[in-house]
Amino acid sequence: MTASRRWVLPLGAVLAAYLAAIALLVAMLPRKDGAVDWFAPLVRGGWMAWSFPSAMFFLTILLLLCLMAVWEYASPGGNPRVGILRFETTRGDRLFISLLGSAFIHLAWLGLIGPNLWWALALSVVYAVGVFRTV
Amino acid sequence: MNKTWNNRAWFMVLPVLLLVAFSAVIPLMTVVNYSVQDTFGNNEFFWAGTEWFQEMLHSDRFWEAMGRNLIFSFIILAIEIPLGIFIALNMPKSGWGVPVCLVLMALPLLIPWNVVGTIWQVFGRVDIGLLGYTLSAVGIDYNYVNDPFDAWVTVIVMDVWHWTSLVVLLCYAGLVSIPDAYYQAAKIDGASRWSIFRYIQLPKMNRVLLIAVLLRFMDSFMIYTEPFVVTGGGPGNSTTFLSIDLVKMAVGQFDLGPAAAMSIIYFLIILLLSWVFYTVMTNYDAER
Repeated sequence: MTASRRWVLPLGAVLAAYLAAIALLVAMLPRKDGAVDWFAPLVRGGWMAWSFPSAMFFLTILLLLCLMAVWEYASPGGNPRVGILRFETTRGDRLFISLLGSAFIHLAWLGLIGPNLWWALALSVVYAVGVFRTV
Repeated sequence: MNKTWNNRAWFMVLPVLLLVAFSAVIPLMTVVNYSVQDTFGNNEFFWAGTEWFQEMLHSDRFWEAMGRNLIFSFIILAIEIPLGIFIALNMPKSGWGVPVCLVLMALPLLIPWNVVGTIWQVFGRVDIGLLGYTLSAVGIDYNYVNDPFDAWVTVIVMDVWHWTSLVVLLCYAGLVSIPDAYYQAAKIDGASRWSIFRYIQLPKMNRVLLIAVLLRFMDSFMIYTEPFVVTGGGPGNSTTFLSIDLVKMAVGQFDLGPAAAMSIIYFLIILLLSWVFYTVMTNYDAER
């Protein structure tokens, strides 16, 4: 299905909201001896024990969902197709498979290799691209 | 057919979204937050990174509980699904027997889980329980308190007693929805009892069996109350399933970080297995 709607404005709005939320989180970060403490609780004694990395994690998942919504707005229908798994998947299914697979890639990396997860993240991105192109 | 495209309809989903957010998403987010931090109480948290996840992934205790849980789920699915189908096939399709059977089948489902545990705890006791006393009287050395094998048998039989009815009722609903024309055609073709089951009843029950397998797998994989009441996870750790271990860690030891990491791994495994079950069975259904 070809893109038929104006998607640049919603995309820009989503990205601007994401960046604004990050800026807000950075502004909330506590300081210790003048330096920013990236891992301290955002609100000391606050509800749900939010920290900057976990807030960024959920914010990025929310960004992905919003980007999927923009994609759906630009090209409605979910682009269903039968890929290498030999059953029909939509964009949403592919995102779910990507996220679930990425979680297991990170767990496997942690269990088998070590705590440096940047390579696991890179592997997950490659995996997600593969899922979106072939599944 | 031309569909009317009205995005305002999405607002109808909002109440469900809010309910799910407060009952599932926000608690899950809190668990994720806890899983990367450590606390000694007073609502004070210290960054721990991926330490708890590593601890869990290298913990024999975790993998042993996981293994026990998978074996338990496999055994109860292997018993309850065929037994449920068998009972449903043999239930009357008309007459006074139908309501009697349905009520009898529904009874175990109406009993609260902790009461089921208490019933079987007493039932299996060698000194006063009907089952334990009778087995001892006929010379069978049965004691679920001391013997891990007996504890497993008790927990499995209890689960089969409690939940096979659900499979029966789902299968029965699938069976009674099959039009008579199918059976008449099979009779004309001279189909055997097995052929009718294999080519008419089983395919028609496919959808309800999908629901039964999914529900029973998820329930059995998350089982807590009944084995906790009957055996308390013992003898030793022989019936300590993941949820029992999780509660011991979170509430007993107040190790919120490791318990949260364990919860997330547990959740991801349930999510993966449920997705695989659902995908395989819905696609099998679609292919047919």
